[in-house]
Amino acid sequence: MLTKLALRNVFRNRRRSVITLLVIVFGAVGLILFGGYKAITFHSLRESTIRNRLGHLQIYKRGFESAEAKKPLEHGLDNIVQLRRAIESDKRVRMTTAQITLMGLISNGDKSETFMATGVEPKEDRAMNAQRLVAGTDLPDGEADAIIVGRGLAASMRAKPGDYLTLMSTTSSGSLNAIDVRVAGIFMSGVKEYDDRAIKMPLAGAQQLLQTAKVERLLVLLNDTDDTAAVRADLDRLFARKHWAIEMKDWSQLATFYHQVVLLYNGIFGFIGMVVFGIVIFSVANTIVMSIFERTREIGTMMAIGTTRSSIWRLFLAEGLLIGIIGGVAGLLAGAGASSVINHVHVMLPPPPGYTQGYPLRVMMQPGILVTAFLIAVITSTLSSILPALKASRLKIVDALGHI
Amino acid sequence: MHRQPLVRLTDLTRTYPLGSVQVRALTGVSLDVSRGEFLALAGPSGSGKTTLLNLIGCIDKPDSGRIVIDGVDVTGVPLHRLAATRRDTLGFIFQTFNLIPVLTAYENVEYPLLLQHVPAARRGERVRYWLDQVGLSDQARQRPDQLSGGQRQRVAIARAMAGEPKLVLADEPTANLDSVTAGKILDLVEELNGRTHCTFIFATHDPALMARAHRCIRMHDGAIVNAPLIANDPLIADEPRLEARAS
Repeated sequence: MLTKLALRNVFRNRRRSVITLLVIVFGAVGLILFGGYKAITFHSLRESTIRNRLGHLQIYKRGFESAEAKKPLEHGLDNIVQLRRAIESDKRVRMTTAQITLMGLISNGDKSETFMATGVEPKEDRAMNAQRLVAGTDLPDGEADAIIVGRGLAASMRAKPGDYLTLMSTTSSGSLNAIDVRVAGIFMSGVKEYDDRAIKMPLAGAQQLLQTAKVERLLVLLNDTDDTAAVRADLDRLFARKHWAIEMKDWSQLATFYHQVVLLYNGIFGFIGMVVFGIVIFSVANTIVMSIFERTREIGTMMAIGTTRSSIWRLFLAEGLLIGIIGGVAGLLAGAGASSVINHVHVMLPPPPGYTQGYPLRVMMQPGILVTAFLIAVITSTLSSILPALKASRLKIVDALGHI
Repeated sequence: MHRQPLVRLTDLTRTYPLGSVQVRALTGVSLDVSRGEFLALAGPSGSGKTTLLNLIGCIDKPDSGRIVIDGVDVTGVPLHRLAATRRDTLGFIFQTFNLIPVLTAYENVEYPLLLQHVPAARRGERVRYWLDQVGLSDQARQRPDQLSGGQRQRVAIARAMAGEPKLVLADEPTANLDSVTAGKILDLVEELNGRTHCTFIFATHDPALMARAHRCIRMHDGAIVNAPLIANDPLIADEPRLEARAS
């Protein structure tokens, strides 16, 4: 009877209930869309960070992080063939690739600039798809003296594909070395500061410049990011068993920018959640208070014929709960509809701070977000009816019966 | 038979604040109401009829005095603790019918039985019985706004009676009805009183209702001014204790 009464009362004043439900629906849609946008942003950023730059796991010689190297690659990995074979035997591993990072001066004969280079294995690096070429070609196989240059650095060097530049750096033994390199292509990563300093060169070229056979690190890419922790644990056991002096980091330990974005977006999401929470609270509370005002005599009658205070309280609480459930369900449907519309119309957003490229607005439908939006609708709606319901249950019967 | 009166009121006073003044609604009322009585409280507006009815109905508290209903002293019990007494012992009929608008006639009559936790099968029987008694079996599925004033009051009577109360309190039950409908309602209530021996107390302005009452208590300025017995009523004639003890 309580549920029947509550349900019928919810639809008693249709216009008011519809307005209240619309408020909840808009709130839920807002949460679902922003939550979905947040989810896809996190997912895209995570995957691009991992697959284009960091890999899922990075393997170093033990002590690389803590020991202050006196010379480049003093704590580098040597003889990685056996290590790679052991890692790549795991079915969850898609590939491994060795890298060296180095810094030095780049010169076109007239002008010198500092550079940050990454020595990569061209074939594997192409698979990682880290950058977009704006001129020339990607790093070719088997050509140690080819490089690709960041757009800003290329402009500074007035270099174009086919030009020769000189790279100078400190070798692993501490002396200076310089090599001439050919500009194969010009790339942009989207981050201007990086493109103003970055070059990529074949691992062989980097080793030649540093005069070493070592590599700095081995990147491990998995098929599925969700396997990261499990693979890491397995590899830890493998290295311990083989007594290899190796240390490992996963992408999450290295992805500072990703974590900053997560923190920022979660903060915004929390703020929007609070705003929605507040709007729903006031809207539902207003509806219940109005309803109680209009039904005061009815409440008096119900109490006169033996309805207890707690039943009256539960009745109005049930009305708040029902408004929340109906609004929540309608909000989920509307949110799902709005998400698929947005995903189909391909709206482009302007570039985020530090980036030079815009990106398409997409919304990811995740069960967690839908459940959160639904629960916020139901919980806020119920919470906001607690006090008015308590007030209704405390009405003096005689006063309530005399209410016009 | 019970020798004890169903209602015993002793020296009741009740004062309401009205702005900055205190209005004395009851000034020491004592009254016994016997089981099965058909009693009218008459008097002009503001004479204290409704206040007295509210006190008997356990929906208001006196400032002083004592109220005993069906042998239970309810004077010191907080009103919210008297929900069960109101539910099981009392029935209410209001001037404005006061049906629950979102419930059908059937559901309105069923409501007090749900409060009493009457099992479903017996509940259905009783609701149908009482709707039949008030002549509204065909209107069971209609909501109050689809019923006429007289029909609404009949539903209210069925609701009051369905819980099998010992005492039904009716505040101006015919005031919002035309004289023909009011007459029919009185016929019905009188017949129910005769048949079920349920006690009825009315607050009324209606001379027709006063004329039908076994006893008519006249009130003025918060006090009972006389307590005439209806001489030809056998139920009261041999019960000297039933005389109102007007203060």
